[in-house]
Amino acid sequence: MSNRRAPFPLSLYYFSIIAFLYLPIAVLFLFSINTNTTFSFPLKGLTLDWYQKLFQADAVLRAARNSLIVASGSSFAATLLGIMVSILMMRYQFRSKTLLLGLAALPLIVPYVVLGVALLLLFSVLHVDRSLLTVGIAHTVVALPYTLLIIASRLAGFDASIEEAAMDLGADYPTTLRRVVLPLILPAIVSAWLTAFTVSFDEFALALFLAGTQPTFPVYLFSQLRFANRLPIMIALAVLLMIGTLTLVFIAERFRRRET
Amino acid sequence: MGRGKGRSVTTPAPTLPSPKSEAFGGGVLKGRRGRGLDRRSTFLILYLPPLIWLGLFFLIPILLMAAFSFRADTYGALFENWNLGLNQYATVVATGSYWRLLAVSSLMALVISISAVALSYPLSYFLAFHAGKRAGLYLVLLLVPFWTSYLLRVMAWKIMLGTDGVINSLLMYTGVIKEPLEALLYNRSAVILTLIYVWIPFAALPILAALQRIEWTLFEAAADLGARPYHQFMRITLPLSLPGVLAAFFMVFIPTIGEYVTPLLVGGSRGFMYGNIIQDFFTKAANWPLGSALSMIMLAATLILVFIATRLIKLEDLLQ
Amino acid sequence: MKSRWSMLFIARGLMFALVLVLSACGAAPATEVSPAEQTGSLTVLDWAGYDGQDFWVDFKNTYPKVTVNFEIGESDPDIYAKMKAGDQADIFHPYTGWLQFYVDEGLVQEIDTSKLSNWDKVPDYFKKIGQIDGKQYFVPWDWGFSSILYRTDKIPEGIDSWAALLDPKYKGHISMWDDGPSAVTVSSYIHGWDETKITPDQLSQIKQEWIDQRKLNLTYWAGEPELDQAMASGDVWLAYAWQGAYATLLSQGVPVAYANPKEKRNSWVGVYGIRKGTKNYDLALKFLDQKLATATGNNVVNEFYYGSANQDVMSGITDANLKEVFSLNDPNILQHTNFTPNVTADQRDAWTKMWAEVKAAP
Repeated sequence: MSNRRAPFPLSLYYFSIIAFLYLPIAVLFLFSINTNTTFSFPLKGLTLDWYQKLFQADAVLRAARNSLIVASGSSFAATLLGIMVSILMMRYQFRSKTLLLGLAALPLIVPYVVLGVALLLLFSVLHVDRSLLTVGIAHTVVALPYTLLIIASRLAGFDASIEEAAMDLGADYPTTLRRVVLPLILPAIVSAWLTAFTVSFDEFALALFLAGTQPTFPVYLFSQLRFANRLPIMIALAVLLMIGTLTLVFIAERFRRRET
Repeated sequence: MGRGKGRSVTTPAPTLPSPKSEAFGGGVLKGRRGRGLDRRSTFLILYLPPLIWLGLFFLIPILLMAAFSFRADTYGALFENWNLGLNQYATVVATGSYWRLLAVSSLMALVISISAVALSYPLSYFLAFHAGKRAGLYLVLLLVPFWTSYLLRVMAWKIMLGTDGVINSLLMYTGVIKEPLEALLYNRSAVILTLIYVWIPFAALPILAALQRIEWTLFEAAADLGARPYHQFMRITLPLSLPGVLAAFFMVFIPTIGEYVTPLLVGGSRGFMYGNIIQDFFTKAANWPLGSALSMIMLAATLILVFIATRLIKLEDLLQ
Repeated sequence: MKSRWSMLFIARGLMFALVLVLSACGAAPATEVSPAEQTGSLTVLDWAGYDGQDFWVDFKNTYPKVTVNFEIGESDPDIYAKMKAGDQADIFHPYTGWLQFYVDEGLVQEIDTSKLSNWDKVPDYFKKIGQIDGKQYFVPWDWGFSSILYRTDKIPEGIDSWAALLDPKYKGHISMWDDGPSAVTVSSYIHGWDETKITPDQLSQIKQEWIDQRKLNLTYWAGEPELDQAMASGDVWLAYAWQGAYATLLSQGVPVAYANPKEKRNSWVGVYGIRKGTKNYDLALKFLDQKLATATGNNVVNEFYYGSANQDVMSGITDANLKEVFSLNDPNILQHTNFTPNVTADQRDAWTKMWAEVKAAP
């Protein structure tokens, strides 16, 4: 990678955008320590009550855990399927190529409400109960176009002669993929996985239709929006999750810097 | 094709010969490989899982829904007593305001996508070329707000844009305005602004992936040949990152047409998008046949838009 | 380059672990060991918030070994759609205006009221609400008003008619609930029409009036916190509202009043029904009986500011604010309200279509 120092305007731009992105987060943080359940300036009082109540709110914590489970599972499946389809697109010719590509990319243009109802119909016909699994299946379907796009655009510029070289040396194709291709496109795979995880964790239109007795965090949040006195607790959790993640990232960065 | 092409300045996407052709050396290589699967046999392993998954969990449900749109009424259990008819589509066609709303939503989506991509390109550029060892950290910094709920972030914007919100308070405190600006919230502009905000980090990812695969030796070579940074950007970086840019554009554009949550929270009475109408029919009106018909129409419209867009882009390539 | 990504993996793994630990700390055991023989499980399709233990606390204490699972429905149409799609919940919670459909579609079964020990605490007019075609299909549980909530400092002259929601005087400061049937209800009150007999011509007129109203309407609210926020900030001066918003804003010191329009307030009642074909009929009846009990009723009043169908609970209210909210000091209040009637599927379709066209209009 280039060692060029960043031109000042570019760095300024980057960090300004970051500040802009975190501004609503800061507002949310203020909301979570606000005494009132409505939010208007000037704030009437500060309190940590909501955080305290959070730890007694089993349902909220469980919902967060459900979201993590669904996101982990569906992002893994979506990335795996995305790798498969990307390789098929870039390395093979076959008659149903356009069909497969179309099928994989089409979830992008179907509104989630529509897909949710459609899957609900399917599961009704199959007599499958709604659960975290049904949500996960839906999330895999909608994340696949993203993972596919990211991995395929990486593979597009990948010189296939390396694969040929490996196979000439005696490796079979799966081994070539595993030990040559995948490691080289690993950043794209991680990027795709991150995208799929993000898509799933935050998604609620599908989850709303397909969750059974265990709601994911956004579903729980959306339904709690009806009741004003629950809102600050949910915001408190969202803020905590974020602070937790940021802390972990900074700690990990410290460790990494010590290594090098 | 084949070896010896490693150092060229442009690397077009390779079209490999099929596994059976001689150029690939199908028959000869097989003998050398011994045990293990060759490319042909691996094909099925790669092909079947996605096909089955998508067929079962995407194609069939959509077909079910399409069938639903031909259902004439809403009486009775879901799968019994179906009267077929085109009256749902007739209703949609007859209501001009639905079409107008679809057009407006598409236009809004266009503005939002272009803005989000344009704003996020410099971010990806920074991450790919200037962040160095800290790129991972900065990337995660960019994404962490996304692990906060989308709903809450939109609600936060609502709080910021309101008449006693952060922006108005600040402007009044510094004396720029005397009365709070009412026009910041509850309209179409608020929807556009909020959605751009939401999509920027997302758009950065595919652009970043595309930028990262550009070999930096290309820049060295170009610099050796006397190209200045500006030219390096226009001739190397930008063209090679174009697939990522296009991917980002579509990743934002298409879902945004069907967006309904942000309009609901910050759009007020005027900021509705087509997605709201669909959502209403499914959740408020319990009229799934009509909702299905509206959805089918939206799908068709989006397909057409994407088709036109891809044709236009091919045209530009030819012109260059 | 590799270390960058492994750092991400570690960060991810640690965050995952953090949440697991947090949720493990938070998760309580499902049932406590206690000497009650009844075991089994029930599934309830309910609105968000009602899955909280406070709202079935009597059942929980009396039958601690029974597992109760909750499925969340977002709204009446959502609950209806789920039941139609074959949801296997034993019990569900619709509201007035949406009851006829369940009976017509054969989704609900009759309640054997002789098995409900708390049944006599429910006043007759509430019992009637749960009856369709003379049969008791639903048990009333929570109720409330819909009326106009307004800021007394912005509208000192007060409000005495539903027509205020369409009055150009308040342009840019009105907020209507995002619900077609309610819009029809309001219009029928204003014009003095019979809600259950709206003709197509009347419906067109209603549609045009609400299209015009859109220019005056700041935003349609979908959930009470949204409304609370907008009124507290002063953006909205008057709105179609349930008394929950009234109570919330009062308790925060916002100067608001809840109108008594000359066309009368609207009143709605939430009821519970038992799904036809459930294998847990007796257990479901026990659940419904305990829902009517005192502690549960008190929690509804105190936490959601909704009324309880249990008369004893209502008479036991002492808080001055709450008495104000429920108009308990007015013995004739129920003469001042119109209860939401049941509508047919055709009407529902026509009214929701009308509302969609209002929202889509240029």
